[in-house]
Amino acid sequence: MLRYVVHRTMMMVPTLVAISILVFVIIQLPPGDYLESHIAELQSQGESVDEQKIAFLRQHYGLDKPVWQQYLVWLWGMLHGDFGYSFEYNMPVNDVVGDRLFLTIFVSTVTVLFTWAVAFPIGIYSATHQYSWGDYGLTFIGFIGVATPNFLLALVMLYLANVYFGTSIGGLMDAEYIDQPWSLGKFMSVLEHLWIPVIVIGTSGTAGMIRRLRANLLDELQKQYVTTGRAKGLPEGRLLRKYPLRMALNFFISDIGSLLPTVISGAEMVAVVMSLPTTGPMLLSALQSQDMYLAGSFLMFLACLTVIGVLISDLALAVLDPRIRLQGGEST
Amino acid sequence: MRNIAIGIVLAAGLAPSVAPAAVDSPFLASRVQSGELQPVDERLPDNPSVAELRPDSEPGRHGGDLRMLMGKTKDIRLLTVYGYARLVGYNTRFELVPDILESYEVREGREFTLTLRPGHKWSDGQPLTSEDFRYYWDDVANDEDLAPFGPPRVLMVEEKPPIVEFPDERTIRYTWHKPNPNFLSALAGAGPLFIYRPAHYLKQFHERYADPEELKQRVRKAGSRNWAGLHNRLDNQYTLDNPDLPILQPWHPVTPPPSDRFIFERNPYFHRVDQNGLQLPYIDRVIVNIADKDLVPAKTGAGDTDLQARYLRFDNYTFLKESEKRNDYTVRLWKRGTGNQVAMYPNLNVNDPVWRELVRDVRFRRALSLAIDRTEINQIIYFGLAEESNNTVRPESPVFKPELQVKWASFDPKRANDLLDQMGLTNRNSQGIRVLPDGRSMEIIVDTAGESTEETDVLELIRESWADVGIKLFTKPSQREIFRNRVFAGDSLMSVWSGLDNGIPTADMAPTELAPTSQVHLQWPKWGQYYETNGEVGEPPDLPEAIELLRLMEAWNSSAESDERARIWGEMLAIHADQVYTIGTVSGVLQPVEVSNRLRNVPVEGIYNWDPGAFFGIYRPDTFWLAEGE
Repeated sequence: MLRYVVHRTMMMVPTLVAISILVFVIIQLPPGDYLESHIAELQSQGESVDEQKIAFLRQHYGLDKPVWQQYLVWLWGMLHGDFGYSFEYNMPVNDVVGDRLFLTIFVSTVTVLFTWAVAFPIGIYSATHQYSWGDYGLTFIGFIGVATPNFLLALVMLYLANVYFGTSIGGLMDAEYIDQPWSLGKFMSVLEHLWIPVIVIGTSGTAGMIRRLRANLLDELQKQYVTTGRAKGLPEGRLLRKYPLRMALNFFISDIGSLLPTVISGAEMVAVVMSLPTTGPMLLSALQSQDMYLAGSFLMFLACLTVIGVLISDLALAVLDPRIRLQGGEST
Repeated sequence: MRNIAIGIVLAAGLAPSVAPAAVDSPFLASRVQSGELQPVDERLPDNPSVAELRPDSEPGRHGGDLRMLMGKTKDIRLLTVYGYARLVGYNTRFELVPDILESYEVREGREFTLTLRPGHKWSDGQPLTSEDFRYYWDDVANDEDLAPFGPPRVLMVEEKPPIVEFPDERTIRYTWHKPNPNFLSALAGAGPLFIYRPAHYLKQFHERYADPEELKQRVRKAGSRNWAGLHNRLDNQYTLDNPDLPILQPWHPVTPPPSDRFIFERNPYFHRVDQNGLQLPYIDRVIVNIADKDLVPAKTGAGDTDLQARYLRFDNYTFLKESEKRNDYTVRLWKRGTGNQVAMYPNLNVNDPVWRELVRDVRFRRALSLAIDRTEINQIIYFGLAEESNNTVRPESPVFKPELQVKWASFDPKRANDLLDQMGLTNRNSQGIRVLPDGRSMEIIVDTAGESTEETDVLELIRESWADVGIKLFTKPSQREIFRNRVFAGDSLMSVWSGLDNGIPTADMAPTELAPTSQVHLQWPKWGQYYETNGEVGEPPDLPEAIELLRLMEAWNSSAESDERARIWGEMLAIHADQVYTIGTVSGVLQPVEVSNRLRNVPVEGIYNWDPGAFFGIYRPDTFWLAEGE
């Protein structure tokens, strides 16, 4: 087991280096650099640009150096916990992200909990009552959730919430609470705004989870040990919880791998549409304005979390299900 | 009390030197009481600027928060634009008047003497003196580390810097060897040239003044590479991203970025008062909430802002109008000040030799322009509310001539056909498309930056009317940088963008947009590049009219008289309209401006323009006030 863990951890290093190169190259692929996008944006709003200042910034940011040098500087900084400088915000990347991270984790956690709370009962019900009206009805609703474009749903709900409940559009709290210390009022305001993104982001995830739980559970329900248990007189509820449901949860554990990065990045599209103070919109605008260190550090962070998440889910699976073997470490 | 106030105003009107007693905002009362701030008459300059109210506005009261929306953190710089406190600034008639300055004097168009108001203070209470101007000139603009590329170009005349003198605490004198007609308009710009710095604050970050050990630590703490980087980051009076930096604008920032909500508080030392002696601005705080720019129209409709024009487009008008009553605001329609909303730029530097020959023939450009049905575009896309026009200056400009607006801009397909036939382009293929001399069919690909559907909608209408004269139009959307690089390199035959940036110039503003002086002019990028780089890169202009434009531009640069400048403007505009270097469609497109019903003194009809205009700036938002309510 230890050997497996060490081996997997060692493997993460070249993976991350490869990802960092990829990230950097892709960010650099579009023509121009941050300053050029910046100039173009100013000019499209009719503003003029001080060329001397731009020339100074280009030199100062090191944008006049070759790409590989820029990459090495960035990599070297990252190893020392310095993620570089955000051009857009004119301050170190570390300071920019700030409490957005906290709010993102908060929104995502609530969303995940919401998804589970809805998907689990429905999935179990659908599996145990296969091909019943209830199964069809709930599945139908689930599919609507998958099929409706998230951003559209978000806009419609924002509008309705504003017209009928007077909730302010966009954001996670009423404007007067932004940058204020936490208080009951602020918390209530967050709750008032939170349900829309949670439902919108949740609906798509819910349907997927219902289907997977239903399929896995159906597989198990056919098995002989279930029949045996039933023959021995176990009550239906206890039988279900004790045996087939536990077996059907493997997919759920392996989902943790992809869960970690989602918790941090949030659902970008919805967050952008709803102007949530989370990290998603920040990443998107950093990519658009070619604010390369901010975007790059973000993507690297997500990559790290994915790699770690996959490791955790692999280990958890191995612990929970003895049938899964640790083959990575063995020299086969 | 009211009578007394009026009496004082009258007295002030008779004898301008006697100002009414200054009145402070209750917002600052507690800080004055605690002794943190001096009383208002000691904070104001000895002779504050008395705001001149427009006829449609009235003196107001102190108090209230003004909410606005911006699309991203960087947009808070617009508070410098809206605040519009400048050394000299434009009034609503676009005349230059001293603002921060008490007065200024110009001799021979080359010697500028600027006089400060006695007792004027920065937003932190330190006096504003000629030392702040000296610091800028000696220690910033001419410092090798801070400005490795020398002083800003507008301060150079024929590559020579001015002589800058500081005869006393309140006087600054710039002298060039030849006239510098750009100097004052640069100071008055929406994004102005700041020729002053808060020296007392910045010296602690300047190598020449700061304690080396302390400075080193500051640089390290800020994560900057060297002191110059730190100094440049902290001293930007335009971007408002440093709450510690003293400024002279009506509101100063108190929220350090990054944030989604920026608060600006009234500058206790602001130099303007109203006719009743109330220190401006009337409004105590401006609150800028950051929301995604696509969400701004929706949030505006929900009443989340008190004054909003940015990120609102004409096609949001009906939506905004619908919730007017529910959320207690009014949508006004201002006119945009650009020369044209959607203009086409035939690239005179296109690489394709056959096409280059054609687009350089003025008959061809005239034919293209005559074959556009501008009335149709106006009716279909702008509900008939825009003005059909060439890409020229707007009627609000003093150098406007009505005939230029319509020259070669009527819809006359027959004449367009005749012109094209005269050029010998008589052969057509089976689809009725004309054939180029080398046998290709006449297909014009118009590059767009792919940002607005408005451009493609207009092009779609043009496509139909051009087909009638035997020209096929294709639209090629790309991404902004690619778009520009294609035009610069001559790969693009024709591009579409908005018209003249400044559609309401006075004769004293530089006519740079009319002459090949910059690469970003999409009709002659290589000529512009040639001018910008002093002939190192690009191509020299080779059409006589373009050379004439450059000559006129130079003549304008060295002219000292307004009359002469007006004459030059007239000539350049005439050449432009006659040569059809750019093909305009409509101008004066309406800009929705949302105004809360509590907010007073915002003009019902206005011009929404970057420079001159500074968007709301020339209407002096410091004189806007909020009526009681809520």
